[in-house]
Amino acid sequence: MNSVARSDRSVVATAIYGLLNPIPFGFFVATLIFDIVYANTAVIMYAKSADWLITLGLLFAVIPRLINLVQVWITSRQFSTRYERLDFWLNLLAIVAAIFNAFVHTRDAYEVVPTSIWLSVFTVILLSIAHIVTALQPASKREHVHE
Amino acid sequence: MNKLILRGALALASVTILGGCSEKASFSPAQQSGTDPTLPSPQRYLTPPMQVPKKAGWTQGQTPKVADGLQIERIASGLQHPRQLLVLPNNDVLVVEANSPGTEPVTTPKQLIAGLVMSRSGKSAEGGNRITLLRKQAAIGGEWEKHNFIENLNSPFGIQLIGDSIYVADTDRIVKFPYFSGETQITASGVELADLPGTINHHWTKALLASADGTKLYVGVGSNSNITENGLAVEYRRAAVLEVDVASGGSRIYASGLRNPTGLQWEPTTGKLWAIVNERDEIGPDLVPDYLTSVQEGGFYGWPYSYYGQHIDIRVMPQRPDLVKTAITPDYSIGSHVAPLGLLMSADNALPPKYHNGAFISEHGSWNRSPLSGYRVVFVAFQQGKPVGTPTPVITGFYSEDEKHLYGAPVGLVEDKDGALIIADDVGNSVWRVTSLARQGS
Repeated sequence: MNSVARSDRSVVATAIYGLLNPIPFGFFVATLIFDIVYANTAVIMYAKSADWLITLGLLFAVIPRLINLVQVWITSRQFSTRYERLDFWLNLLAIVAAIFNAFVHTRDAYEVVPTSIWLSVFTVILLSIAHIVTALQPASKREHVHE
Repeated sequence: MNKLILRGALALASVTILGGCSEKASFSPAQQSGTDPTLPSPQRYLTPPMQVPKKAGWTQGQTPKVADGLQIERIASGLQHPRQLLVLPNNDVLVVEANSPGTEPVTTPKQLIAGLVMSRSGKSAEGGNRITLLRKQAAIGGEWEKHNFIENLNSPFGIQLIGDSIYVADTDRIVKFPYFSGETQITASGVELADLPGTINHHWTKALLASADGTKLYVGVGSNSNITENGLAVEYRRAAVLEVDVASGGSRIYASGLRNPTGLQWEPTTGKLWAIVNERDEIGPDLVPDYLTSVQEGGFYGWPYSYYGQHIDIRVMPQRPDLVKTAITPDYSIGSHVAPLGLLMSADNALPPKYHNGAFISEHGSWNRSPLSGYRVVFVAFQQGKPVGTPTPVITGFYSEDEKHLYGAPVGLVEDKDGALIIADDVGNSVWRVTSLARQGS
């Protein structure tokens, strides 16, 4: 990513991004499911599982989010589209909500309910919208993203 | 666009700060102690407030501070996490050296981080799993003789002598050892009298107290969680005082709902059972006060469903309004998060008269509160078998004035045959002896 002058994006960064970026979404969806199950059953295993899921989701999000940040705002700034910028902001908001949610999940027992569910729903919805925004991008412009 | 990035970074930073913010306590421990403590509303946190001083230990010649009219000397050092004490009829002092068996699995990310922060204080140092005998050396003052008395124990805490048998409460069972007066080592292997709740061991200490006639042993068993975050199933026979029949080893729940009863004593004038109890954390610096209470047979004291009588704890699901209705309000608040770990009821002793007829309580000190609370030994006066007034500090100076360094932390309390107060210090790895200035040389 030291190729600021180049119009295309680092192959390595794009590959790593492609590998890691889908992982957090899966973890956050699973967190939401476990949050709902815990709220309905009060079986502590689901609360603890949700706690690990959101923590792991956040850890896996660090590298792809940094790559995205650099690509959208620095290295490929003059080529990045408004779809990509919107995708960036939606992801950022989702991650902020997930960070809050990870702290909420450190509370003991039933104190996580219902805040955990609302934050999990918010995170999943934001990421879903981000995926739709990316899909809406005209094909000619999309090339830049996945090159 | 750089402004946008900056704004994003600021948003992230503010999240981190919010997550890490913590409120200071608004009550002093004195305001919250006594028979009718003021309780604020519970708070919800993103991260619980934590303030943990770093272990420094005692320097040469440094001692805790004692109240006017008292003096303090170190009678043992270099111990491995000394916790409880027992004075034998010949005035030998037994020191139980132990710490958590470390069997609580890490099941949440929070445990990883909280464990790291809390271990700074030296409170989680490894225990000796042994009992050391201290014997006063003739004439020459200074430290007492040290003998390895019993070894290879499993996180022992409570210890009692009934007749010619010593009963040790390991974290998972009560073990009986034969004792011959004057001996400095027991090599016989112990015989198990009764098993005790030993899974997970979030709270691992098992306090022990024999009845006056020697037929029963009372065992303080702490809960397996702060507030049921390990599920309700693992709380079977936990947060309770068990009564064990010394002849048969059979046991029953004597009283329940006592989150972590770490010290048991008989009140000398009424003969009633009293306990110190460590209450729940993480709902505020001024909640919930730890307490001293008489323990009624069959009594329920609230944990986990309610605290200090009928104050509901919303963290527990399912709730049990039927049980909450029966919850007994404790007799006397010691203050929030002070962590009482040692209790000594004393009718008479060799300290000045204002320390007669009451309870000495050692406060191991807070982690879930800012500023710090506890880290001292206090005296609570009793009248007609009931505590009165506010706790008077007896021994202080366990941490530095800036609250950053921890020299020691008091645990077990006993009175020796000369009427002096003896204190185990598990961070300073020492045993201290407090006497009256007026009776020097006693």
